[in-house]
Amino acid sequence: MDTNARRRRVHTTVEDTEATLYNHDLSLYPKFPCSEIPLSEFEELAIDRVQLFRIIEQASLKGHKYFSDEWKKCIKDDMMKNNLKKFVRLLSGFNGQTELDIQARRADHISHFILRIAYCRSEELRKWFLARELEWFKIKFVSNSTPSILKFLQLNELNYQTISNEEKEDLKESLIVCTPGMNDVQVMMSEFYKVPFLDVWTLVQKRRVFLKEGYAYIPINDLVVSIQSTFRTTLSSKLVLMNRNLPNLDDERLSNLLCNLHQAYTGNEYTVSNDKDAINPADIDEYSKKHYPLCMRNLHETLRANHHLKHYGRLIYGLFLKAIGLKYEQFIEFWRSEFTKTMDTDAFNKNHLYNFNHQFGKVGKRVNYSPYSCMKIIMSNVGAGDAHCCPFRHFDVGRLRAKISECGAPSEGVSEIMQLVNNGHYQIACTKYFQYTHPQPSSNTINHPNQYFEESMNLVKDKTEKIVS
Amino acid sequence: MASACCSDNEPAFTEEYLKNIVPYYTKLMPLPKLYEWFGYGNPEIFAKREISFTLSNDVYIRYQSFDSFEEFFNEIKKKAPVKIDIGAIYKTKPKIKALGFELTATRKDLVFDIDISDYDDVRTCCNGAGICNKCWKFMAIATKIISAVLKEDFNYEHILWVFSGRRGIHCWVADRHARELTNEVRSAMTEYFNLLKDGNKTKKVVLTGRIHKKIYERAIKIIDEYFMDILEEQDLLGTDLRLRKFLDMIDKGVRKQFQKSMTAVKCSVERWEAFEQTFTELQESDDLKTLKEEIKLQYTYPRLDVHVTRSLDHLLKTPFCVHPKTEKICIPFEAEKVDDFDLEKVPTLSKVIEELKTYDEREDTLPLGLNDYQKTSLTQHIELLERFVNNLEKDDKMKY
Ligand code: SF4
Ligand SMILES: [Zn+2]
Repeated sequence: MDTNARRRRVHTTVEDTEATLYNHDLSLYPKFPCSEIPLSEFEELAIDRVQLFRIIEQASLKGHKYFSDEWKKCIKDDMMKNNLKKFVRLLSGFNGQTELDIQARRADHISHFILRIAYCRSEELRKWFLARELEWFKIKFVSNSTPSILKFLQLNELNYQTISNEEKEDLKESLIVCTPGMNDVQVMMSEFYKVPFLDVWTLVQKRRVFLKEGYAYIPINDLVVSIQSTFRTTLSSKLVLMNRNLPNLDDERLSNLLCNLHQAYTGNEYTVSNDKDAINPADIDEYSKKHYPLCMRNLHETLRANHHLKHYGRLIYGLFLKAIGLKYEQFIEFWRSEFTKTMDTDAFNKNHLYNFNHQFGKVGKRVNYSPYSCMKIIMSNVGAGDAHCCPFRHFDVGRLRAKISECGAPSEGVSEIMQLVNNGHYQIACTKYFQYTHPQPSSNTINHPNQYFEESMNLVKDKTEKIVS
Repeated sequence: MASACCSDNEPAFTEEYLKNIVPYYTKLMPLPKLYEWFGYGNPEIFAKREISFTLSNDVYIRYQSFDSFEEFFNEIKKKAPVKIDIGAIYKTKPKIKALGFELTATRKDLVFDIDISDYDDVRTCCNGAGICNKCWKFMAIATKIISAVLKEDFNYEHILWVFSGRRGIHCWVADRHARELTNEVRSAMTEYFNLLKDGNKTKKVVLTGRIHKKIYERAIKIIDEYFMDILEEQDLLGTDLRLRKFLDMIDKGVRKQFQKSMTAVKCSVERWEAFEQTFTELQESDDLKTLKEEIKLQYTYPRLDVHVTRSLDHLLKTPFCVHPKTEKICIPFEAEKVDDFDLEKVPTLSKVIEELKTYDEREDTLPLGLNDYQKTSLTQHIELLERFVNNLEKDDKMKY
């Protein structure tokens, strides 16, 4: 796979230096980024932001109350765990001006625009993206102190009208009863802003605001609601516009990335542990039926049928096998015995051996390659004759339906799975498939074929352990 | 709990009704003015507005739209619907729905609908679709409270109140700003407004921190104008059962004391006075908070049919339709004069047709050049509509 050979160039029209462009943690992203980004970084930033948004989404799904302290903590912790330190930096509330701060804001800025391109494509995607962007904005906003919020308002030329002291004196009593979390002293001490009630209708809904003649009177902290609503309106129309003028991306890798970003449920990279029990090559056929996810089962069955796999098929299946515990000698033997059914040993040694050795990290740079995650498989390019694919994503509907029922999913399960596939939730479909073909569901959403395998094996181990004890 | 006299489904049109309805549409109903309003002075907007008919054979035709007044008028004459409903303005003419197109609603007046039958657990004078001048007091409270919220909180001014012809009232808010509200915001506004919890809870109102003083104090002030009358007329505490329901709303810890003082006397007013007295006595030792307000609100706070308000594509009966069962005309009234509204005097179809006939048969038909409606008791109501539409148009021109 090529890494960063190709670069994308975006024309520079504005001569802002990064330090002036990125001087605040909060941003409404008014301008398109104008720097050159290597494709690999482009990819990384895109995935990072999707991951960030999934984390935010998950926090609510985990049952934490929206914007409660636990909710925020859960998000921060998950961000740390998932190596999104740069985004955590934007939540510090200090608005620092170090190089690291500037780099974090740059990442925030660029990744926002990459996701705009990826998420402008359908109503459904736009909705999801908008909701997460607004949450992300609010998380950052509430971390900021009053002075830094004021600075943000000024930098963005957001001219909110504060009310005069006389007016505040007049409305004092109403402001006190209608503004939650503020006592009379706080009300008198802080600035109040007057905004059209429509801008803060969510506050109106909860009766958390004083209304008079069509205006809402809000303290500085509630300004976020109003800014969000402006942000929502502009961003939403920009997304629609962008979708209409979407350029034809000639770069296949790029367009693949952008088209499939949302389906990629980012998960942890799977790492191969060394203390894994070795598996017996003789068990592989049985494992493929009982414990393999569909993608690997498909590769295995294709290999047994054709005695051959194309490049990516060999790579993806090979790394999977290594990670489930196939030892080096047996690994080579496994491929050799299958391939030599259609070619002689010399040809195998000449054409393929080096590659398999390389895969295993025995020759060349001796890299310990990680096995492919669902995201990578789902986003990969699958051509005619390629066996590597995520069947949930790449099989046509009829073939997938036949395959999952052949593999033992009951008919109500099949329709449920097909429904998920229909809505683009490939990994959730795979997770459901696991559930229908095992005595109990997997403990997590499937995001890696090796995780699937492991969870499946664990169920067997649990059972045998119970029998033994 | 429908009243014995009529159920909603049985078609019960008298011959007279069927004979009079078309002359009513052609001569008396202010269709040109309604046309102006529903298109906000613009025929192109009217052409995108959904108009639905209910026919006398109970057939309901949705998603009609009319390109001109003549088309609208002729179709009404031809079909003689027993009910005409007005819906939203769509991006495209709603009649293309028949061709299989999807419709998107974009604008509509903000509307509120209150049905007296939603007060059946409180009122004792009537039930179901029945309504009398006693239960009209609930409608009067609703009119005043909603008007206050719309004006004072939201700054709306183009508001038309209409008696629905049978068992409730409608409120139309036509300010341009209000017309453009999304479903989300409409829904939010009903939540802002609504103090009553749904469902079969014994206690429907709890004034927690989330419902601040400002909202309920204004309501209580209005309610207090009527509360004692309602108490007496509806005999709210006059039976053991009603008293028990009342006591159920009171916290168990102090209920006994109230029970004691209230059962010692018999009639509703005395019982309420006993309640108030015990309330004052206990207030010092126990924290009774806003119990008294909560009880008043539970009995009388406006009970909105929120579905009607919430969504743009919901339809509502056109003012000046004739209710097919009561034959009463759906007439606008002035919110400030809601107390003078007399259900007995609502013009009916046969009455206005008769009035017109009598007038035209008179020897001296001076002054000359009167519109037909001016010869009937519809006059003042139609003038109200005209004022409403003219003001709206003036304002639209001035502001936009
Ligand atoms: S979701 Fe992942 S594990 Fe499941 S089939 Fe697709 S790629 Fe394989
Ligand atoms: Zn009554």
